[in-house]
Amino acid sequence: MITKNITIEDLIEDYPKSVKYLADKGIRCIKCGEPIWGTLEEACLEKEFTQKAIQLAVKELIELHQNNNSEEASSIQKINIKNIK
Amino acid sequence: MTINIKSVLKNLGLSEMNQGVSTGADWFDTDGKVNISSSPVDGKVIASVKTATLEDYETVVKKAQEAFKEWRLVPAPQRGEIVRLIGNALREAKDDLGALVSYEMGKIFQEGLGEVQEMIDICDFAVGQSRLINGVALQSERPLHRLSEQYQPLGIVGIVTSYNFPVAVWAWNSALAAIAGDVVIWKPSSKTPLTAIATQKIIQKVLKDNNVPEGVFNLVVGRSSVMGDNFLGDKRIPLISLTGSTSVGRRAGRIVGDRLGRALLELGGNNAVIITPNADIPMAVMSTVFGTVGTAGQRCTSTRRVIVHADVYNQVRDAFVGAYEKLADKIGSPLDEKFLVGPLIDEHSVALFEEAVSKVQEEGGKILFGGQKLEGAGFESGNYVMPCIAEAKNHFEIVQEETFAPIVYLIKYDGDVQNAIDIQNDVPQGLSSAIFTLNMREAEAFISQSGSDCGIANVNLGTSGAEIGGAFGGEKETGGGRESGSDAWKVYMRRQTNTINYGADLPLAQGIKFDI
Repeated sequence: MITKNITIEDLIEDYPKSVKYLADKGIRCIKCGEPIWGTLEEACLEKEFTQKAIQLAVKELIELHQNNNSEEASSIQKINIKNIK
Repeated sequence: MTINIKSVLKNLGLSEMNQGVSTGADWFDTDGKVNISSSPVDGKVIASVKTATLEDYETVVKKAQEAFKEWRLVPAPQRGEIVRLIGNALREAKDDLGALVSYEMGKIFQEGLGEVQEMIDICDFAVGQSRLINGVALQSERPLHRLSEQYQPLGIVGIVTSYNFPVAVWAWNSALAAIAGDVVIWKPSSKTPLTAIATQKIIQKVLKDNNVPEGVFNLVVGRSSVMGDNFLGDKRIPLISLTGSTSVGRRAGRIVGDRLGRALLELGGNNAVIITPNADIPMAVMSTVFGTVGTAGQRCTSTRRVIVHADVYNQVRDAFVGAYEKLADKIGSPLDEKFLVGPLIDEHSVALFEEAVSKVQEEGGKILFGGQKLEGAGFESGNYVMPCIAEAKNHFEIVQEETFAPIVYLIKYDGDVQNAIDIQNDVPQGLSSAIFTLNMREAEAFISQSGSDCGIANVNLGTSGAEIGGAFGGEKETGGGRESGSDAWKVYMRRQTNTINYGADLPLAQGIKFDI
């Protein structure tokens, strides 16, 4: 589950699309090919996010993940329908 | 040569699901998250690992504390004998472990073998060192007193390694720590857990056959939520040796520093080669190309910048582009020996490579070669790129950063060699550096007190590919740590000054009188 206390490593391992989302917000999660250490909140605070902005980032990351899941589910459904036809 | 990965995994004792926690010969069935290791080579799942929980970590630390009490009493040459046997076990497993390094990390098989050879070399070094843990005899100012220094075992050494040298860095640290009388807890990269498990399995027979206490060589595969700040901040661990980015190192330095522990930090580099008008240009180009594209630019010591004198700039530039054109056909599976450049570790690294290519152009640089992600047959994993040469200025933001990928910046200098040295030093990092020149004055200036400010400064060879015999490490944002050869063993030990009074009087130092 994505909260502000999730570590960056858990976030990008479990929700890989977060890397691009955070990069667009100026947060680089990967350095020297490895995830940075610390929580999402710490990474945001380093870039001077307010608590409100952090809450928004968490909300958008959850939505991004949910949209991603439903897209995947819908593409699986389409494949199934195609197979049935 | 065809490498059969299934056989490699079998030979190394790996299965589809593997335990990620061991105290030597014993393995623990853990309840942590399952980490799936996929190969950057073809994107296929290699195997899975059950990672540690906080309870597992606690169990391991306690075992390590117990083991230290026993291990520190074993004479150093006998500890060296165990390390010698570990070196022999690695010799026997060299081909298999080298192949797994290649498949799990993505470096070419030759470099995979080289990495295992480095492990063997440091074992040999440590065996010799085990008979040379020497202190020093000093002259006391007081009569009938003897003053000396000796080195004592330190305790538990926490080792954090990175994916790019997934096993060699463990060997650099643990071979020296073991002969020093320390015990180790290894947190490998989450991207390359299988090479770590394979290494532990290779040494476990040696440990068991020779009754090495459980808890001397510990492995804990875990994410930073389990093996993160708690590990760094653990007062039971007097030394943390961490290889990684400057960002992680800065965090580690702060946390370890807060508890006044000892940190050996091996962090990022922004390594440059200087090519003067007096260089052997073909040799300079050949050597530098290995530095820029070897391990697909994912070494801490990879060459990031090439600083070339204006008089030979066009010649060097053209030779570089020519060499890269030849390399274009040699990018592919690192397990196939006809290829010289393998993939990047994952799609995130590819994205960062592409970002660097864009950014250098936005800042006014010019791409001379490559810079694209490769697609099509053989590149299905999406992790392969065409190495890039860009013309740039040293002050560009992107040039000041370390991009962990095969992008090299050509930078022109004029006038005296000192101008090139000043450009080279004008970055936040200070790991490795090199100059190509046949002029003795230029070479000496480069390694003088006003020369390179890096931990490594080479003449007529590139920035990467260090031998284990010298101390390895760098200055500034590289972290200041030194590991591997020379006297790096001292960081794994506690220095103690001893004064022994063998007379019948009690003279005080500095001639102080205190008569009651």
